[in-house]
Order: sequence, then C-alpha cells, then structure tokens
Amino acid sequence: MALEDFAAEMDRCSSCSYCKWMPFDQIKSWRFAKNCPSIAYHNFNSYSARGRYLVARSLLNEQSETSDTVRQVVYTCLACGSCDVSCKGCRYNLEPLEMVRELKSHLVEDGQRLGEHLAIIESLRKENNTMGAARSGRGAWADGLKVKHLPAEKAEVLFHAGCRISYDKEFQKNARFAVQILLDAGVDLGILGEQEMCCGGRIYSMGYRDDFTRLAKANMATWTKSGVTTVVTSCSDGYHAFKRLYPKLGSEVEVLHTVEYIDRLIKEGQLKFKNEVPLTVTYHDPCHLGRQGEPYIPWDGVEKKIKSQVVVYEPKKPRYNGAWGIYDPPRDILRSIPGIELVEMERIREYSWCCGAGGGVREAYPEFSTWTANERIIEAGSTGAEALVTACPWCERNFLDAINGQDSGMKVLDIIELVQRAL
Amino acid sequence: MTLPKNVYKAFEDIVGATNISDDPVVLDSYRYSLAHTAIHLGPYYNTFTPRGAAVLLPGSAEEVQAIVKLCNKYKIKFKASSTFWSAQGYPSEENTIQLDMRRMDRILEIDEKNMFAVVEPGVIAATLQAETMKVGLNTHIAGSGCSCSVLASATSYFGSGPSNLYGGWFYDNLLGMEWVMPTGEIFRTGSLGSDCGWFCGEGPGPSMKGVARGFLGAKGAMGVFTKCAVKLFAWPGPESLPVEGTIPSYRAKLPDNFKAYTLAFPSWKAWADGVYTIWDTGIGYLAHRQFNMFGRDLKFAMVKILTDPTKTLGDLEEFLADLEVQEVTGQMKRDFQIVLVGMTPRDMAWQEKALDEILARSGGWKVEAMNVPEIHDWALLYLIRLGHKNLNLVFGGSYDGCFGLPGSADFGASNAEEAGQFKKEWEQRGAVVEAGGDCQMGPIGGQGGGGTCLWENFTCFDPSDKFSTEGTLEFFDAATEYGIKRGWGVGMEKWNGAARGPDGKTTSKEERDKMHLSAPQPNVFRYQHKVREALNPNNLGDEYFCRKN
Repeated sequence: MALEDFAAEMDRCSSCSYCKWMPFDQIKSWRFAKNCPSIAYHNFNSYSARGRYLVARSLLNEQSETSDTVRQVVYTCLACGSCDVSCKGCRYNLEPLEMVRELKSHLVEDGQRLGEHLAIIESLRKENNTMGAARSGRGAWADGLKVKHLPAEKAEVLFHAGCRISYDKEFQKNARFAVQILLDAGVDLGILGEQEMCCGGRIYSMGYRDDFTRLAKANMATWTKSGVTTVVTSCSDGYHAFKRLYPKLGSEVEVLHTVEYIDRLIKEGQLKFKNEVPLTVTYHDPCHLGRQGEPYIPWDGVEKKIKSQVVVYEPKKPRYNGAWGIYDPPRDILRSIPGIELVEMERIREYSWCCGAGGGVREAYPEFSTWTANERIIEAGSTGAEALVTACPWCERNFLDAINGQDSGMKVLDIIELVQRAL
Repeated sequence: MTLPKNVYKAFEDIVGATNISDDPVVLDSYRYSLAHTAIHLGPYYNTFTPRGAAVLLPGSAEEVQAIVKLCNKYKIKFKASSTFWSAQGYPSEENTIQLDMRRMDRILEIDEKNMFAVVEPGVIAATLQAETMKVGLNTHIAGSGCSCSVLASATSYFGSGPSNLYGGWFYDNLLGMEWVMPTGEIFRTGSLGSDCGWFCGEGPGPSMKGVARGFLGAKGAMGVFTKCAVKLFAWPGPESLPVEGTIPSYRAKLPDNFKAYTLAFPSWKAWADGVYTIWDTGIGYLAHRQFNMFGRDLKFAMVKILTDPTKTLGDLEEFLADLEVQEVTGQMKRDFQIVLVGMTPRDMAWQEKALDEILARSGGWKVEAMNVPEIHDWALLYLIRLGHKNLNLVFGGSYDGCFGLPGSADFGASNAEEAGQFKKEWEQRGAVVEAGGDCQMGPIGGQGGGGTCLWENFTCFDPSDKFSTEGTLEFFDAATEYGIKRGWGVGMEKWNGAARGPDGKTTSKEERDKMHLSAPQPNVFRYQHKVREALNPNNLGDEYFCRKN
C-alpha cells in the first residue's frame, strides 16, 4: 500500500469527529467520554484521525510540506486504534488506523524520522531488541527455569517473552511464573532465550515496515526450525504482531496470549485456586490484545460499487472493528480468583482508553505519554478499585512510571501476579 | 496568507503559544470538503473551504472577548465552531481566524429542580444527556446527532430533531446566553441579563433570541456564544443507558415504559392523519422518519445489516434478494418511528391504547419485523442517543439533503411521492445511490412539539467520484427548479446558496443582492442587514447572515 491508495478515503472521510469520542451509545459521563488521547491532549483537529486524513491529503496534493509540525502531528498517534472503532460504528468503507499507519510509513520512507525512534531502530538492527540493551542478556530472565531452549531443542509451544519482559526486571517474575504454569500443565514448551528477537510490532506502529518485515521473517524462520506450532506470549504488542501482522507474511502458527491459555486451563479444571486474594480491581484492556487482537482474515480483493454508488468490496472484505478481540478471558480469570472483586471502568473493551505507551509515543513524547497514562489511572481510581490490572508489560510500565510521579495509592498489577497469589 | 508577526503575537499573548497555530498543515485540518454534508451548499468535487489565517483555541469567554476585540482592531474576520459537523463552521473567506471552541467544554450546571443545564460550546449532546439522565432528566438532541455541540445547535443553527415532539426543539429550549458580540462586548440575554440566573431566554432581562439566532441561526456570523442554558425534560428511565451487544449493533433493553415502534400507513393521507392525531392526542416522546434516510428500497436491508455485527454493506444485495426482507420493505414504504415513554405504568398503558386507536382510525399498522427484540432495542437506543448519525454517509461517503422544507404533515406527505419519483432519474443514471427515490427523513413535530414536519430527501453519493458529484449537483439544481415550478419552494439544497459559491468562498455582494431582491419577501433581508450593520459594524463574521441595502 501507499499513501495514494488512501486518496479516496481522504475524500470520503466527512470530518464528522466520531473518531474523537468513544462510541456514543456507550458514553456514561462527561469526564470519560473521549477516546483519542492525541486530540484530547493537543486539541487541534490535525491530531485526530479526521485531521490526519486532511493532513495526508494536504501532503499528497502538495498543499503543504513536511515540517516539525507534520512530524509531531503524525508521530503523536499512539496507533491505539480507538478512532478506528468509533469510525466503524457507522462506516464500512474507511480504515483510519490503516491510513495513519501508512502516513507514518510515508514519513519514514521520506526520511522524516524522529531521533528517538532512530535510536530504537539502531538498537534493533544491532541487538534485535527495542530496549537499547545487549542481545546477550535477553535470556537472563529465565535463568534457572527448567525449560527447553530452542532452536537447539524442539518444542511445540514457544513462550515469547518480548523485549520489555526480557529486559525490565520488574516483570520478569511474571514471565517465569507464566512459563511454570504452562510447564506444570504439561505443555511441551520452550523459549528462545538470547536468540529471541523483537516481534517488530512496536516499530511497525512507528512506521518502520522494512525493519518489521526483516524481524518477522527471521522469527518465522526460527519457529519453523524449532518445530513450533503455537506461540504464547504475555506481551500484547507481541500478540498483535504475531496474530494479525505475521499471517500477512505467511505465518500459520497458532497465537495465544497467556491469559487465553490460563483461562483455558481454569475452564478445563487443570488450574485451581486455593488462596483468597481480597482485592477490588479494575481491568485495563491493552489496545493490542483487545480491539487490535482480532484474528487475521486473509483478503485479496478490489473495491466495487453496487446500487450505483454504494462502495463495497469484491470479494467481501473482512471487517476489523474491535468487536472480536480478547476481552473475556482476562475478566473470567479475575472473576474466578476467590476474593477478587472486578469493577469496570467506563471505557473498556473495544472502546478502552490507551495506556499511552504505543506508536513510539512513550519514547518520543514522554510528557504526552505520561498524561495519557494518568488519565487512565484517574479513571481506574473513580471505580473505587485498589489495583489497576492489565495484561501487557508496556501498559504496566507506563502506568507504573506515571504513578511514580504522583501521590496515588493505586497499585498496578499484571494479571499473572494475581493468579500466582491465588494458587 | 498568514497573519503579520505582530498580530500573531498579539493573539498568542491571549491564548498562549500552545493554543494557536498558523502552520499550513494544521490549517488544512480546518478545511471542509464541500462534497460532505455541506447541506445548503451543494457538492463540488475536490473543493474545500478556504484555508484560514490561524486557528485559535480559546479557553474562556474573556479570551474570546480579547480575540474579538483584536479582530476589530485589525479588521480580521473570525469564525467560531465547536464540533464542526458541517461547512457552516469553517471560514468562507481567506484571512479569517478560525476559533476552535473545543477547550471550552464544561457542563457548568445542571439545575435539577428548574430543569435546565448551562453549557460551554464544546459540550456535545451525548455527554450532556449522560449527565442529565443521572438526575432523571434528558436533553433535546439535534437531528445532526449527539456528536454535535449543544450550544451550537441551540444558538447558531436550527436545532431540530426527534425529541421536538416532547421536549421541544432548540429554539424553544434556549434560555439565557452569554454572547461575545461581533464588536467584542459581552452581552447576556434573557434572565441572565438581569442577574436573575439562566432560567429564561426571553426575560425579565433583554430578549435578543430573535436577533441572535432567529429561526435558523446565524451560523457563527454574529459573534461567539460562550455559554448558554438549555431547557431539559423528564427522563423516566435508568441513570445510565443499559447498553449491550456487539459494536456496531449496540442495543438497550429499557423498562416496559419505553417502546420504539415503526408505524406505516396505506397512503400518505393516512400517514398525515395519523401524525395529526398523535399531535392532538399528545402521546410520544420522540418521533422521526429516521431509517428512510437509507431510502425506501434499502432501509430494512440496512436495518438487518446494522443489527448484525457480522454483516457489512457487502451483504446488502443478499438481503435485498431475501423475500422476507422484500415483504417488510413493502410494508414500511410510508413510515416513521415513534418512541413512547410512559411517566407511569398507567400513562404508558394509555399511550399504547391511544396509539392503537390512532392506527385503527387511520388504517396504519406497527411494522412487526421492527419489534423483534434485537431490532427494537437497537432502534430504541438509536433514537434516544442519536449516536449513529454518521450513517448518513455510509454508502458512498457523502450525502446531502434536498427538497427539505418545514411544513405541515400534509405538505411533506403531498410531495414525498412526486419528489421521490423525480429523484429516480438521477438514481437510474448512476450518479446517486439507487435507494427507491423516496429518501425523505426528518422529525415528526417541530416548534412547540407538533404542527410541523421537516423532511430532507437524502441523496447519497461518492465524493471521490467526479461523475457522482457532478450528477448530484445537476440533480440538486434540477430539484430547486422543480420545487419552484411545483410551488414547494427552494429546498434545503439551496438554503445558503447565497453564502458560498462553488469555490467554497463567500459570493460577491452583487450576487447576493440579486438573489435577495428576487426573493418573495426581500424586506426580510433588508431587516437582517440592518440588524447586522448595527451589531457587526466592521463586518467581521462571514456572510451567512444575509445582507442587502
């Protein structure tokens, strides 16, 4: 795809501003009605999906030139996809998230890159991770775990730790515990250790498609070599990359998030909780597990018109509108833990508010990223919850960093931590 | 053209550096395609409203006042908009300052006892409704839907919608206003002007509602409204809408005192008789000919798509071939939706009984296929929240209304069939969506809750397809000519034809004068011009407010 391929959409977006709000049917208050952090923080139209369509149009038609403002407008998109969900509450022939991704790639290919993102790319090219750390330390989180090491050994199921978990010591215990649960359940499981590479999901959402493709192909080759048929990850970014992006490049492996596997074990009676965890919690849906966690459906078709001017596709085009993401497994896990009371925020499931870590925003625009996280922490606090629980290390890191700067009693927990306490 | 540096700096000093921009790419995100819901303008392929000189995001009435005073000092035109639904919110001349009011978005007060709310421009109807429902009240929502600014709908543009019937439309509901006039003075209207609070729009203080907005509103051409109060009405339902289902097919199962019906009639005369009797009887909470916006032939197939989250427009032809869908489509040719809401069980029982009697007398019926729970609960939520108005654009990306004029139920009913037939020629040519000709939609009930309907015949087209936009424009010109010939008057498609030309810019004074002089009542425009001259001596709004010496 190229930006030109979205020219008709640029005309067809009516600037209605639905992309700035959660689906209107679901609005429960004035305070928590907005969905797009980018426009909510920066306020100018250009920071919304509708504005970015017009920005793209302006660039494409050479009515304006790339500038610092253009870069900020484009790269402050978190690629969280909330605009996409709200738009598709009514529209069947617009793809705002895809368009903004294309706009980012367009800037990258045009050399309009951010220094903060280039540092990540450099780290990826040298060390295969986004964290600026040495590749040799990637497997240290699993030291002492009795688990197969691929590709030297073979296993059906791969646990992919991901960059954040591999290098952020605070989350490593969760990964170790997740692996142990799967091993205890008799899963033929392995890890790649220091040979694991970044999934590429985060750089894809920054616009670096070529680097993403390089990583994806390398990962897929390693999986094949290791006999892997299923990939399990605790990282929602990784989940999205493997589940939605890799199949476009030919991947056929089954992809599961840890919450799906644990939920399955609970429902099959293989995992039973013994301890009470007396805690009121609220659950944050990670964007890449929820609305962007829908399964990939292959499609190769063209636009056509019926009834003279109704725009449809031949063959029928799959519709990703956030409805079919992973929402219930984490909630079912929490409800099955004795003592836990789950209270919901107003913005949940497909219309969840983003944590602020995605799209390269955490790295390039830390103030905006922290503001976005704080908004969510405030919303969590409004439910009366003692803990904000999620299922993505990137969300957790952003929430923890935001909370560190304020006087908040809110705990931030990975769902795995609660499972561990209950066992 | 950008502002001189000293002028830009002066504006920046008012709003702060982060709330002003003259970057071309930001300015281009405040341009509007004239091929989109530019009702009253007509679609023009590939034409956008002019690029402004700067965009400002004021945060208070005081900032707005300072901006307007500066505009007067430097003779710079300005245009304020809150939620930017349509072209009226954007500058129609270059070198115009665009005020984006979204930072002023507070609900200042909900007075439960006196049943009104005070809002700033950026408050949308969805959030106000959500908050008022918590205290057993509801707000009117304009037909453009709940994404739109309450203040803009109440002060600056029309404000008619489904709840006209029970709650009154926004002209009725507008109470006190805080108005930064085109000269920069702050004027407070109605009871607010006498320091008596917001509760009344017409007094005991100065009543300027007629001047400030009149019937249609000045569309941002007469200063900036920075706060207003709107009347609320009873909501005998839950504190929050109990929404369930899968996007986009959300639905709400409400208590038994809520019912959404699609009523249909054997003839247009029976249709109008039914409407008159509903008004006379005083039943109903919301009434709208809503889903006919998809077109007479497509509406039930579209309802089937919209109530099943696994379906898309790609399933349209399959549904249209379905015999059951065809049968229901035939049943609901001459229809409208009504929501009954009982304040008590006895009230509900009485309304139900009255409606059955009205249908018996007029020969009408309830379309049963619209009463199955998943469709009923979807329609009920749709009509109460009006959160899917962007379905207006679902087919090809654009729509525009034509033939729309307020009038009695008989008026719309008398020309619906003929207008639909007339439109079919352009449908058959392929310029616009083939929807069955009759795509008339609009509220059943106008000022004061009854008495008038307002329909617009939705014309759906593809704004990225020159054949489609040119064909639509040709149809609109033909529709205007036909409306005049038939004595129906000039329809919505030309309501503001005098304001902007096909380049999106203000038409020349000579051109406007020519139109106004040929109007049936040219003195109206002379009067309006005098008002404008008195209140806007430097002519700093755009030309939506008509003028003629």
